[in-house]
Amino acid sequence: MKRPAGTLALAALLLALLALAALACGSAGFGWGANGELLMLRLPRVLAALAAGLALGLGGANQQGVFRNPLADPGLTGVFGGALLGIALLLAGATEFTWQHRWALPTAAFAGALATSAALVWLGRGRSTAKLLLTGLGLNAFTAAGTLLLAARFPEARDILINGAAGDWLGSATLELAWLPILGCVLAALLLLTQASALDRLALGEDMAFCLGTDVAQTRRAGVLLTALAASAAVCLVGQVAFIGLLAPHLARALVGPRHRAMLPLAGLLGAGLLLLADTLGRSLWTHTPVSAAAMTALLGAPAFIWIASRRHE
Amino acid sequence: MSEVLLAALRLSVDLADHTVLDGVALTASAGEVVGVVGANGAGKTTLLRACAGLLPEATGELSISGIDPRRTAPATLATLRAYGPQHPTSAWDYTLAELGQLAPSAEAFHRWCARFGLGASATRRLSELSGGERKVAHLSLSFCALGDAYGKVLLLDEPTTALDLCRAELVARAVRASAQAGAAVLVATHDLAWARTCDQVLVLSEGRLIAAGPPETALTAELVRATWGVA
Repeated sequence: MKRPAGTLALAALLLALLALAALACGSAGFGWGANGELLMLRLPRVLAALAAGLALGLGGANQQGVFRNPLADPGLTGVFGGALLGIALLLAGATEFTWQHRWALPTAAFAGALATSAALVWLGRGRSTAKLLLTGLGLNAFTAAGTLLLAARFPEARDILINGAAGDWLGSATLELAWLPILGCVLAALLLLTQASALDRLALGEDMAFCLGTDVAQTRRAGVLLTALAASAAVCLVGQVAFIGLLAPHLARALVGPRHRAMLPLAGLLGAGLLLLADTLGRSLWTHTPVSAAAMTALLGAPAFIWIASRRHE
Repeated sequence: MSEVLLAALRLSVDLADHTVLDGVALTASAGEVVGVVGANGAGKTTLLRACAGLLPEATGELSISGIDPRRTAPATLATLRAYGPQHPTSAWDYTLAELGQLAPSAEAFHRWCARFGLGASATRRLSELSGGERKVAHLSLSFCALGDAYGKVLLLDEPTTALDLCRAELVARAVRASAQAGAAVLVATHDLAWARTCDQVLVLSEGRLIAAGPPETALTAELVRATWGVA
């Protein structure tokens, strides 16, 4: 029998140790500096990676639960792309306004993510898994093209958008810039945890969930809204990072089983750990030419995901 | 006279511009098992789903214990009726123990599992069960959701499909026991022998009710020949 409480405690302990290691590692070498100056320099980046990873892991698990589909991931279904396109539209249309108002970027990202989520639900409606995923892939390609088009047309936003599309924004994290998205990630994560029971019942099909007393429409609405909040807040911190929302829930299910009460928090902890590990390795192994968190995540996660997929029977 | 727990009048459902249920009337009282029969596509599943409150677009009069299931909150409705779908599914590969935790009472769920011959299987995953075993695992969830059967409505859509003779008999007994405990049971089935043991039978054809009443008057040889094309 799997022991969810023990696994969660172990994951939380390992994440705390990883965070300490991440605070001590960097291009300036190992340690926190004589007066802790390196620690303070790295702290915003580590906090941003932890919060974004937490939101990505939980957001992915929630989207898989809402769509009853193990292949759903906000990174693959265009929700991250929508968030980045929202940022791109704001930067292109009102660059000065964007930097004058701290809330503008997260709001634009949330609007973009919500619009893409709504389009995904509406265009991919029906029972077909393939239809939903193909719709998501189409939305992903469309939003990525839109972002790149805006990056090409507006030179002042080009670098920031290209870096965002490559998932390379963690390096520019400061507490002043990151506190609002970090708050958004934590808020989304806490609210997503309340969906566990409804997601469990939704796994039995919409009819059965309804007959067991679950408000299916409300669960879906909350799922779409909270996933959009989690994805947009995470995108504001990291840029576009696919894969964590796919890998973390699969790992969590393999470790504690599919019940969401244990699986959701573990997916969040694993998401945080994966993103922090990827970012720490990316900036510590190649100090002069650091590799983006998104690239490192895929490098680390893809083999693990293929291994998990090969062990599945269905 | 027993209390009427489920009642429908002129119940109709249009799906994608096609009428799948057309003006059906029925009543099911406490202590009664009502069988719903008909050829494939006759509207049995739609009738059960409409009665369960799953089709808010259904027109006509409908009530479960005096309230309209189409205008009732899911949590309230869950205390009045239980439902077992024709093709139960699970998105994730739960163990029976995990499935039981989704039920209103895990203990009751395992009692139902044991009653249907699935005892001592708590650690087995749904993917490790046969089709029939999976079916009774999900049926256990439906019976468990009914809880104390008195005054409630149980809606089961082809509960014995994919079951062997022994388990089909166990399910039929459980259905009768629920009725004896005070539930009104509406059960869709292709098993005419089982339908003949019901208190009432409704015969559907192309969404219309073509016969209703005690099996000896509703399921006549002429009607069976006309509906299914067999003697």
